Amino acid sequence: MPSSTTEKTRSGRVPGARAALIWGVIAAVLVTVSTIGVFLVAPEDADQGVIQRIFYFHVAIALVSLVAFAVACVAGIFLLRTRSARWDDVGDVAIRLGLLFSVLVVITGSIWAKASWGTWWVWSDPRLVTYLIVVLIYAAYFVLRSSVDDDRRMRYAAIYAIAGFASVPLSFYSVRVANSFVHPVVFTGSGAAMPGSMLIWFVVSLAAMLALFIALLEVELIGRRAERALRRVALALENT
Amino acid sequence: MTGGSQYVVAAYAVIWFLVLAYIVMLGARSARVSRQVEAISRLLERKGIAPDDGDDG
Repeated sequence: MPSSTTEKTRSGRVPGARAALIWGVIAAVLVTVSTIGVFLVAPEDADQGVIQRIFYFHVAIALVSLVAFAVACVAGIFLLRTRSARWDDVGDVAIRLGLLFSVLVVITGSIWAKASWGTWWVWSDPRLVTYLIVVLIYAAYFVLRSSVDDDRRMRYAAIYAIAGFASVPLSFYSVRVANSFVHPVVFTGSGAAMPGSMLIWFVVSLAAMLALFIALLEVELIGRRAERALRRVALALENT
Repeated sequence: MTGGSQYVVAAYAVIWFLVLAYIVMLGARSARVSRQVEAISRLLERKGIAPDDGDDG
């Protein structure tokens, strides 16, 4: 008996297309609402003024990049257990998106630093340096993938994604255990250091970035499945 | 622009430029897959295997 996925494929529907569409619509709505909220509704910060508005997307993107790396770690564990190429696709795409979001975090953070501290980068700040280390570790993931042959690529990439995730808590907690730093800590164990009128728009921005990540992940996975199917067809045709 | 608003504009411009660039890259890949499907379809025709139109209904 064919699987439900095969049935859907044979009936002309693309697996994951509906999910991609739904998440795409959710992301578009949330991004629109959050942009309006951040720029037109959220109150201006008394200390930093308009510059503080970078916070809403900068921190949201940072958190989603860490979620992406967590997804890659979980996908790596599932790949090692099941040996399914599907989990290799999920891990690869999650790290690709995590890296995109990480680059955005570094750039927007540098812009914010220039506006707030007068410098683009502070090498003595543990949060900035450990986050850069996380970015470089995940950038090396693609070097590993391209340097290993097909048979070992999935397994090595999964192990690297799991091991690489150890750097994420390092970045997350570095600023909390460091004695001196310039990077502010907004969220602590006792709650958020901001009024509710700002927190609500941060939560909406976070939801928007999370929905954008899921939508892009779904679209990428559809492409990966299509390319994999095409390779199978091309191989079968060569053998006929 | 005053009060650092140019930095806010720059940060948001970077975000949406890179996200849009990524979406364009996805579109380019989709176009490549489409070209490969057409190539396989032509190959099937040459081999005398008529590809169906994907509509089983």
